[in-house]
Amino acid sequence: MFTKRIIVSILALATLAVGSITQIQAATDDTVTVYSSRKEHLIQSLFKQFTKDTGIEVNYLTGKGGDLIERMKLEGKNTPADMFMTVDAGDLWYAGTQDVFRPVLTDTLQNNIPSYLRDPSGLWAGLSVRARTIVYSTERVDPSELSTYADLADSKWQGRLCLRTSKKIYTKSLVASIIHNEGEEAAEAIVSGWVNNLAATPNAKDSHVMNAILAGQCDVGLVNTYYFGRLIEETSDAPLSLFWANQETTGVHVNVSGAGVTKHASNPEGAIRLLEWLSSPKAQAIYGSLNKEYPANQSVASDEIVSTWGAFKQDDMNLAIAGILQADAVALMQRIGYK
Amino acid sequence: MDRFCFKTNIWIVLLALIVATPIFVVASAWLLPGGELWAHFAQTLLTDLVVSTVILLFGVGFGVSVLGTILAYLVVMVEFPGRRWLEWALFLPFAIPAYVLAFVYLGVFDYSGYAQVWMREALGLAGFDIRAGHWAIILTFILVFYPYVYMMARASFKRQKIHMIEAGKMLGASPVRVFWKISVPLARPAIAAGLLVTLMETLADFGVVSLFNYSTFTTAIYSAWGDFRSIEVAAQLASLLVLVAFFLIYFERRARGKAKYYSIDVSHIRPYTANGWIGWLLFAFVFGVFMLSFAMPILQIIIWSVDVFAKEWSGKYTGLLTSTAILTLSAAALTVTVATILALPSSCKSKSNVLQTLIRFSTLGYALPGSVMAVGLMYGVQNISLINEYFGGSSLNHLLFGSIALLLFAYVSRFMAIAYNSANASAEQIKPVFEQSARLLGASRFRLILQVYLPMMTPGIMAGALLVAVDVMKELPATYLLRPFGWDTLAIRVYELSAEGLFERAAVPALMMVVFGAILMLAFNKLDSSRL
Repeated sequence: MFTKRIIVSILALATLAVGSITQIQAATDDTVTVYSSRKEHLIQSLFKQFTKDTGIEVNYLTGKGGDLIERMKLEGKNTPADMFMTVDAGDLWYAGTQDVFRPVLTDTLQNNIPSYLRDPSGLWAGLSVRARTIVYSTERVDPSELSTYADLADSKWQGRLCLRTSKKIYTKSLVASIIHNEGEEAAEAIVSGWVNNLAATPNAKDSHVMNAILAGQCDVGLVNTYYFGRLIEETSDAPLSLFWANQETTGVHVNVSGAGVTKHASNPEGAIRLLEWLSSPKAQAIYGSLNKEYPANQSVASDEIVSTWGAFKQDDMNLAIAGILQADAVALMQRIGYK
Repeated sequence: MDRFCFKTNIWIVLLALIVATPIFVVASAWLLPGGELWAHFAQTLLTDLVVSTVILLFGVGFGVSVLGTILAYLVVMVEFPGRRWLEWALFLPFAIPAYVLAFVYLGVFDYSGYAQVWMREALGLAGFDIRAGHWAIILTFILVFYPYVYMMARASFKRQKIHMIEAGKMLGASPVRVFWKISVPLARPAIAAGLLVTLMETLADFGVVSLFNYSTFTTAIYSAWGDFRSIEVAAQLASLLVLVAFFLIYFERRARGKAKYYSIDVSHIRPYTANGWIGWLLFAFVFGVFMLSFAMPILQIIIWSVDVFAKEWSGKYTGLLTSTAILTLSAAALTVTVATILALPSSCKSKSNVLQTLIRFSTLGYALPGSVMAVGLMYGVQNISLINEYFGGSSLNHLLFGSIALLLFAYVSRFMAIAYNSANASAEQIKPVFEQSARLLGASRFRLILQVYLPMMTPGIMAGALLVAVDVMKELPATYLLRPFGWDTLAIRVYELSAEGLFERAAVPALMMVVFGAILMLAFNKLDSSRL
């Protein structure tokens, strides 16, 4: 009977599925396991190179930062993760408060990564710098009109500003830095000025912000520079340019992607070795150029396209502060109605 | 309840309770304090997002009901040019993940998209922000989800007795009147069932709403968790979604009323023929829907992927395809197995209201956002671990997190609604008289199930399996959080690339998903037509 056969095969498949249940990765001594919210295509070639250089295999699982932190908390001392890697200082800071990391303060790390890009107690280290600054239309904006993040709240930008959604972590960290630099009240005035100046509902992506400027929906916006770098790589004659914000004052807001060794790592030596290797000039050059970010190791030159944008002053606020103030930043944006 | 009933029911109760585990875990968050965060949300987000959620649900609900019903009616009752292939082509949008479709629509119709550029440059019209307001996102959801209603209504129209419509015609009723007075009332339960699934999916959606930067309930859920790191409040908010879904199910049951259709007759004669320009007008309408909801997005995805295909394609895709296929098929098999046990007809079950409610309860996972479901499951495991540790055992967390078992459990729990509705629909066609005769003849329940029920339910079960398979293929958040090492799926690849702004490259795995999904949908259609 046909139906009978279908049913039998369904049951067989189901049994097979349940039977193949657990796949526990046997972590050998020569494997480092990484949980990463940095996407696979940005880490895969780095890890391959590390294995080639050291013979240590890297086993990785990508996911969202908050999800992975939750998973490590619940896995506790049995977590397979030796290292947690993520793309925002706020997430790094939060993971630190959740007792996920162990302090690692080796000389190599301290020499390779400047102190404001590291956790004060050594729980995590920044591995690449992501600058968030002003992008403008070279057709409709004279760079002399531009100055600071706060200036974008001025009424001269009425109907000319595009922003990414407040739900994105980069926006939250930027606003946290403004709260730190200018105080809560001033920050609230700045952000509500931005919202008043918006030409469109905040965009879901930085690349959408740049597309909107190119299409003439607005004239200025805020983006992470590597999105601009990718756009320029594709269309080198796009009438868009970067402007370094706050050069006369606090400097451009920077965030980091970074990593730390987990508290319950089963292979801490391997993980520390990986972290140190990632901070080395060789890895930093790959790390930065894969995604047009700035190397955290200051001795390493930026990618070719990136270096054409010139040097700029960075905000040297310790990035742990961005984490601490992030909840305040979100509450502020939700009060104002920045979507 | 007699002893016989106890024996059959106890298994159903256990199974339903297990499937509903994540919902219980999520609801238990109310035992924890939420406090300050609720006050903050009440002052800031809540009013706005309740209003927009309601507007969205009404808009989408109205839209899918109208569009799905009209399309189904046209392809079943009216002969018009192109009808034959459009009838199955209208299923295809199912194969495209909602977030991919939303992405394409924004790329084409937003201010910087070429539709608007052309409008401004060639027609001199003013540009506008399509993400402002409600209509654009409502339209997107309608085009994504109409197939649910279309599918259910189509099956129902096919079962309508031709002579009822002939009678209406002979009494001089216009086609429109026949549609309103005969066909639609008879199809009401089917339309309501499709509508229910649509609304639950709209409630749980995060991908489309975040691309449009629209605020719904899920916005607050993700804000509670992502911004304020409060899993408790996120779970409390999510359990409200479950509550809404529960009411929706209740209303759906009410809408269905006492109506039970035991007909499995199908007629292939179409009562109406649209000739001449009316026929072509109908074709243009149905074809337009197909173009907007499937052909145009696919074309765009193909255009995006052509240039970067060589760059994106690598041996890695063998792994992505294999894990997608294994997860998809085994989840579908497991889900329908459970759903079939829950849906098997029995007089013991239909007598017990508590049991019916419990079974309905176990299908509510569909209204939970995938990541909330996944975290709910992780906390469920954590509780078991705590009990185990209390009795001197050790934690199971690290064994179960990232195991296929837990991931499959998540799928079963999340997609039970789809499999159950489908299996149950065919179970409801089975007349109770079978059970009575079997008892009189002394046949065991096992034999009754094997020789009568299962063969009769097979079409429904298989349809459910295929729909679950397509849904699992598209699923992102739970897979992303719970998958084992090295079990990346196509959906994950799409997400990781598009999250980094690499949309062209993301089009490559997206296209493979659509092809895979379309194969499943065609199989579904084949099966569907062989049973009709």
